[in-house]
Order: sequence, then structure tokens, then C-alpha cells
Amino acid sequence: MQSLRPLLWIGPAIALIAVVVLWPVVVLVHASFQNIASDGFVVGGAGFTNYNDLWHEPALRGVVVRTVIWVVAVVVVTLLVSLALAQLFNQRLPFRRLARTALIAPWAASVMMTALIFRWALDPYSGAVNIILHALGLVKMGSNTADWLGRPTWALIWMIGVAIFVSLPFTTYALLAGLQSIPDDVYEAARVDGSGTWRTYRLITLPLLRPAILVATTINVINVFNSFPIIWEMTRGGPGYETSTTTTFMFILKQAFIGESAAMSVVNFLLVILVVLLFLRATRWREQVTR
Amino acid sequence: MRRRLSGVRVAVLATTLAAVAVGAGSATATTASKASGAVTLKLVVADYGTGPSNTSSKYWQGIVKAFEKANPSIKVNVTTISWTNFDSQVQTMVQNHNYPDITEGDYFSAYAQQGLLYPAKQVLSNPSNLLPVFASQGTYNGVQYGMPFTTSSRTLFYDKKLFAQAGIKAAPTTWAAVKADAAKIKATGKIGFGLPLGPEEAQAESLLWFLGAGGNYMSGGKWTINSPANITAFNFLKGLVSAGDTEPNPGTVDRTPLWEKFAAGDVGMINGSPALIPIIQAAHVLTSSQWASVPIAGEHGPLSDTLGVCDNVAAFKANGHLAQIKRFLDFAYQNQYQLQFDREYDLLPATVSAANALKSDPTFGSFIQALPHAVQYPSNTAWAQVKTDIQNTIGTAVTGSPASVLGNLQQTAQKLGG
Repeated sequence: MQSLRPLLWIGPAIALIAVVVLWPVVVLVHASFQNIASDGFVVGGAGFTNYNDLWHEPALRGVVVRTVIWVVAVVVVTLLVSLALAQLFNQRLPFRRLARTALIAPWAASVMMTALIFRWALDPYSGAVNIILHALGLVKMGSNTADWLGRPTWALIWMIGVAIFVSLPFTTYALLAGLQSIPDDVYEAARVDGSGTWRTYRLITLPLLRPAILVATTINVINVFNSFPIIWEMTRGGPGYETSTTTTFMFILKQAFIGESAAMSVVNFLLVILVVLLFLRATRWREQVTR
Repeated sequence: MRRRLSGVRVAVLATTLAAVAVGAGSATATTASKASGAVTLKLVVADYGTGPSNTSSKYWQGIVKAFEKANPSIKVNVTTISWTNFDSQVQTMVQNHNYPDITEGDYFSAYAQQGLLYPAKQVLSNPSNLLPVFASQGTYNGVQYGMPFTTSSRTLFYDKKLFAQAGIKAAPTTWAAVKADAAKIKATGKIGFGLPLGPEEAQAESLLWFLGAGGNYMSGGKWTINSPANITAFNFLKGLVSAGDTEPNPGTVDRTPLWEKFAAGDVGMINGSPALIPIIQAAHVLTSSQWASVPIAGEHGPLSDTLGVCDNVAAFKANGHLAQIKRFLDFAYQNQYQLQFDREYDLLPATVSAANALKSDPTFGSFIQALPHAVQYPSNTAWAQVKTDIQNTIGTAVTGSPASVLGNLQQTAQKLGG
């Protein structure tokens, strides 16, 4: 009896995880092996048909490649910019409090709203960005050039920009917290030893910041990979699937090919887990965090 | 089918914010009586209105009032449901065995399959008055169950003001003329031809061009999405797009916003349905003499066949009110009510006699003339899925390779069957 007592305390948490986290995964995997009509009725088992269909989807290759570009570009640029911003905000600046608060804005605003505002700003006939470019004589209103979101390459570039914009606050704050945890005496010792600014940053700040960078990168990879509202609000993944990532592709498939969409979801789920595990292994997470 | 007309309704809704706010609700109006011995019919209808001022409930109450006066022993109870909820609410009624007697709106062929419906010939005195071209959609095993109540067809709208500015005398009837006229309008700084190939309704726009080259989605029960005629159509469109004679990147542009641009006087030509008319009127830019609609241009001449869609009436057996249903439907299908519905919602009639009455109407005439030759979407069971695939990808054929985009669609369609 005594040995069961802890269960009383952790039981509710276990139940919650089982129902909210594990059960949906089971349902998802189950759905991916079923033949589901487009109105939602289960017609029967499908074996690996859904996976096979997904594999032969002509758009899949482009979608996967684009997803990799999307995640790598957004996470790497976000991290680099955030490192600089964190450094800046760690200095004694005039209006530092104001600047730090302003940085929260893109974080506090709903991502969907931000994406919508950018879509409107990029409208080929009346968008603010195009009005400015037009005034500078760079773009003709209503032209193909002004239709940034209609051309897949430019649409992707703009969306990567928006994704970076909304990822900056969290990343910067994570790194800022890391910076503030580095004790002053380490820097003092470096100064006494005659180390220059860049050398100090490279040999002291960056290594000590490593746990913070790891956490920020891991969370960003998962977030950006699963990011839906930016792409959905700005291009719906179109034209065709030419600006879709695996996440929006899965959602578009769900309109008529529910089983195949479930298969895409399972693949997405496994991909995220795989990428994160590989990343943590490569960076020897355990040593970093438990040390 | 329902998707089309309800799509139309969405387009109308989008024009006024107030309409959206009210349009989501559903209204129930009751004229049930407690009189013993009287039969009460349960009529369930979709709401085509954009708000309380023109809700379909008003239209049906008008009919019911006149009907009850003429038939004191029959009462009719009208339930109006917004389009968004129509499918699910009717389905719930059937699942709970709380059957309606008559529905008007979306039509479910599954109910005919399950033997829940009266055939048209039992509930209408003159079923042959229904436009025959729409019969196949409501037909199961050779018997017609779904009865078209309201229809809609596609024509080419053009902006006379822009045409005059560009020095064009008449509306185009061939693709070559479309291209030449679009280029002239483009030279005035406006959009020559509005080509909505975004997901909203790419399957309709594409079909109108397929028809122009003598193509279609299916032929003789076989998918023909990548037929030479269809590829010819998209090769022409690709040329039109690359010459800049359309809006930029048509694959990303939906119908509703482009119709609004036409209404704002920014587009020279666009394929439209009667649902475009209220949008033009609401914009207050083009007066009724500054735009016109004509048969859609084809490769070598105007289309004799255009895309047509309809919403249907279905009569349920469960309550055994055969005689009363027949009496009511005969009453409701009278010309005056068909015409009233069309004027109210800018849609087209579904009966031969009402269509004849509207033939020379200045607004509806060109649509009515196109109706008898209306082409339907495939009635194949795989169509719903194929349509989604078309909506999502066909727009890329004007930037990529028409043969490979249409080829991929053909492959998907064949895999799904038919």
C-alpha cells in the first residue's frame, strides 16, 4: 500500500499526459493506416496505401526540400541576430528598459496578425511596402514585381523574414538570460590576462552561453518546423504547393485526402523527433545541461 | 453543386461586413397550428439572404401564407438554416429520425440511395417543367429524386468603359480576340483579363477554358483532364499570362477578390455568374450601362455550352405526407415564385416556364440563353477529391508545364476511379 502512495500524487499528471499527449499520437498513427472518405467516414483499413500515396505525391520532394531550407534559414539567422541583440541589450544603454520592452512586441502580437499585416503590406495594388518602393521608383504598382507573394521564391524569402521577426524576441531573451548568468569575475580575469574584446567573446562568452544557445535552438527548430500561421496567412502554401512546408502540405491534404494527410502527420512527427535527437546528440546535451 | 451556389452566397456575403455579422445565424419561423386534423409540413430551407432584410425565411413565409390560405387543412412550418450549417443540420435531423418533409438547398444522393426520398414524378404534377439539363445530378438508378429549384450559369462580363477607352468596339468571341483586347486594356494601365486560378474556384475557371477548346474533365465516363484540348487551353492561358494580359500570378488569385476588382472598374474582362451582379451594384463604380455580359469566348467562337450549377428540392417519405407535399411543391414551383426568388438573390430559375419568362430580361437574358446548354461538373463519386486537387494545383499550369500539371491531375483522378 505504502509503495502505491506516490501514484496518488503523480497519477493525475500521468493521466493528463496519457490522454492529452499519448492518446492523440495513437489515434493519429491509427488514422494513417485507414481508408477515410473525404466526408470523414472510415471506409476500412488501408495498410500502407496512404504512405505509398504520399511517397508518390509529385509535390512531396519540393515540399521536403523547402521545409529544410525554411527551418535552417529561419533558425540560423534568428540565432545570429539574437546573439547580437542580446549582447546589445546586456550593455548599459540609455533607454535599455524601453528597448527591451519594445522587443517583446512581435512576441506579444498574435503570429497570425503579424502575418496578415505583412500580407497586406505586400499587396501588389495597395500594400505599404509597395507604395514605398513605388515612391522610390523601384516597383510599379500592380506589376509582377509588386506581387511579392505571388512568386514562390520571393514569397518564401518574405515569409522567412517574418518567421525570423517573430522568433527574435524569445531567442534574444533566452540568450540574454544566459549572458546575465555569466559571472563578472570571469571577464575580469580575462581582462587581467590581457584578452581583447573579440577573443573574450569567442573564448569566454560563447562557450558559457552554450546551454542557452542549445535550448533556444532546439525550441526554435521545433517551433519553426511546425510553424503554420505565417505560411497559411501569407500564401496558403501556393501557388500549387510551391511555398508549402510539410506542415501546411499536411493541412492542405486533409481537405480531401484524410488518410494521406494523417500519414504526412506521422512522418512530420517522426521527423521532428529525429531532428531533435540528432541535434541533442551532436551537441552532447546531457553534459551541457547536467554539468 | 451545393458548393457552387453556397460559394456564390459567400461571395455576396463578403461584400458587406454587416451581412457577415448576421449571415452566420439561422432563423426559425413557425406558422404551425394547433388545429386538429390539419397536417403540418416541415419545410427546411437554406438561407440565401445576406441579412434579416432578405433572409430566405421571408421568401418562404410569403409562399406559405398564400398556400395556407388556399389550403386550410395544410400548415407549413418553415425552418431556415444558414448555408454553413445546412449540411450538418439536415444530416442530424435524418440521423435522429426527425425527418423534414421537404428540403431546399444541398442535395444528398445518399438519401435517394437509402430509399428515403419520393421520386420527382410523384411529388410534382409536371416534373418535365424542371430544366432537363440539371436532371442528371438528382438522378439515382434512372429515377430523378433531386429537383432543381434555383440555378446559375457562367458568362463573360466586360467593362464597357474600359473597352471604349482602349478603343475596342465589341466583346471578344474568340481567344485571339480575348488576347488582343486584353493587351489593349493592359496598355491603359488596367488588368486586361481577370483569371482567378487560385484555390477558391479554379475548377470552374479551368472548365470554361477547356470547353472553349472542346475539352472537359470527363468524356464518355473516362477522365480526360490531360486531353490535347485541355492542354491547348492552358497553353493559350500561359501565353496570356506571360504577356502580362492578366493579373500577375493567377495561380494565387481567388475569385471573390478579383470579382471585386472588376466591380471597382480595374479589370477589363472576367468570367462570372449572376452572383457578380450584386457585387458590381454594391461597388457603385459601374452603372448598369457600363458593363455587359455575353457568351464566353472559345478558341474559334463563343461557347454554346457553359458551366451551370443548381440547388435542389428533396421530398422525404418518412412522414407519409405525399399528397400534401405534392400540393405544396406544385404551388411553390409556380412561375411567380421562381421569378421572385431570382430577382431577390440574382440567381436563375430552374423551370422551363420561368426561364422562358425571363428570356428577354436585360439582366438575366444572356444567362438564361446559356442555361439549356449548361455543362455540369462530373457526377462521378471521386469528383469531390479530384476537385480539391484541381483547386490546389491547376493554377501552376500557367507558370509551369500544362502537360505535366494536367498529367498529374489525370493520374490522381484515375487512381481515385472512374
